Amino acid sequence: MSVGRRSRANAAGRLSVLVGVLSVPTFVGVWELIARSRIVNAVLFPPPSTVAVAVLDWIHSGQFFGDLSASLFRVTAGFLIGATGGIVLGVLTGEFRLVSSLLSPLFHILRPIPPIAFVPIVILWFGLSEAGKLFLVVWGVFFTVWLATHIGVQKVDRGLIRAALMLGTPRRQMLSEIVLLGALPYIVVGLRTAVSISFYTLVAAELAGAFAGIVYRIEIAQQNMQTGQVMGGLAALGLLSFVADRSFAAIAERAVWWR
Amino acid sequence: MHNPLRPALPLRLVDAPPAPSSTTPQAIIRVEDLSIVFDVPRGQVIAVDRVSLAVMPGEFVSLVGPSGCGKSTLLNAMAGLEQPFEGLVTVAGESMLGPRPDVGMVFQQPHLFPWKSVRRNIAHGPRALGKSKAEALRIADDLIEMIGLTKFANAYPHTLSGGMQQRVAIARALANQPRVLLMDEPFGALDAQTRAVMQDNLLELRGRINATIVFVTHDIDEAILLSDRVLIMSAGPGRILRDLSVGLPRPRSSAILTDPAYLALKRDCLDLIRSEGRKAFEQMETVA
Repeated sequence: MSVGRRSRANAAGRLSVLVGVLSVPTFVGVWELIARSRIVNAVLFPPPSTVAVAVLDWIHSGQFFGDLSASLFRVTAGFLIGATGGIVLGVLTGEFRLVSSLLSPLFHILRPIPPIAFVPIVILWFGLSEAGKLFLVVWGVFFTVWLATHIGVQKVDRGLIRAALMLGTPRRQMLSEIVLLGALPYIVVGLRTAVSISFYTLVAAELAGAFAGIVYRIEIAQQNMQTGQVMGGLAALGLLSFVADRSFAAIAERAVWWR
Repeated sequence: MHNPLRPALPLRLVDAPPAPSSTTPQAIIRVEDLSIVFDVPRGQVIAVDRVSLAVMPGEFVSLVGPSGCGKSTLLNAMAGLEQPFEGLVTVAGESMLGPRPDVGMVFQQPHLFPWKSVRRNIAHGPRALGKSKAEALRIADDLIEMIGLTKFANAYPHTLSGGMQQRVAIARALANQPRVLLMDEPFGALDAQTRAVMQDNLLELRGRINATIVFVTHDIDEAILLSDRVLIMSAGPGRILRDLSVGLPRPRSSAILTDPAYLALKRDCLDLIRSEGRKAFEQMETVA
């Protein structure tokens, strides 16, 4: 009886693996059928084959890599600047009460404003320049990382601090090693959230007006009624964001190496 | 089952140097009329109330008392982690204005740096004091051998048992060669078996180091087994009720647990602590 149960369990396991493998192809197939069956308007809802052709054209035209590198640069540079600022200020506000009294109220007022709401004023300040786009990404990343670091620093095990004090640890090493590494598990969570936020703000930044970029391409295609290209752009953005999140998760796993 | 805490330390048992009976007995730790007051939501609490005591170089002194009697606060003041409200704490003639590398501390929890291996945890102190990396690691390796953890030198703290972690914490505190070693219920979080082994280890270790030790515990057996002197503290506000010399010969082992002199001493201690504990409990009830 137990053998029968196990083989049934195995069969169920194999079935779910099979279904899992077929999930996306089935979805794409059904989409293709529906789009070609004229149940829906193929201009607004093009079949996957049309999307694939649009993506290939995009790559062949040479625009794809220009768009990709423009978007990647904005996300990466904005993330690095925002994250660095967030960590440094988070350590300062988390560790020094005076700095916290000075900055935390301000940050708590600014933090809940969605970064996208800053698009109009960013256009006034920076026009359509790269600086404006970086500003939006930095803004979105900074507050998330700052808050995570600030909380992490305050939650550092007081026992570790006391032990380090008793061993004669100098002030500078206390901040750069004990406090920073003690807060690292929190900081890493903040950084991972900030990866998705950097993509959200990238969308807002490129929609606000750009000359290259994946979201810029989506918008141009929309204006030309190239629905296939729009969907191809969305797929590319999804893939990019997915890869970024997964790579960061892999890095984060190793960053807190002692767990 | 093989007990990883068993590898008997390759140490000689050596009697503690007797307290100097020269013409000018100079205490290494002096606490004079020390009071420590904490702010609480509704006013203030006196944790330590006009305590005076002196500890001679090389002495092993235990502070014993009911929970919340201020014994840890008193120890923290000797560590420079708490500042006096009134009174004075000096170690080696200098006021304890803050933590100092010549005063080491072992806490109830090991508080090892989780991102550092055993070796680097122990090397942390010497490095912080400006020793070269090679020198710091050499000191660490010597201490690792002394605590019998050579096989675990490169292990990370979370992979070690509680007893092993606490041995690393002791080695880490010793790495700066402190003149005074303060221990705040260091074996309180360990199971009874491990605690017994750790007590033996500490007795052996004492023969190898010159540090004066002040040891906080609520375990009377532990205090008498380890100490030259046992100071019994009263329930809050903390005061020292009695200063008992433990005249039992060294080297000591658990065999003293049946010694009549030991039993008499223990009865004295227990009576005092019982009555104090009851007082503390009644105080808590009236406050509540």
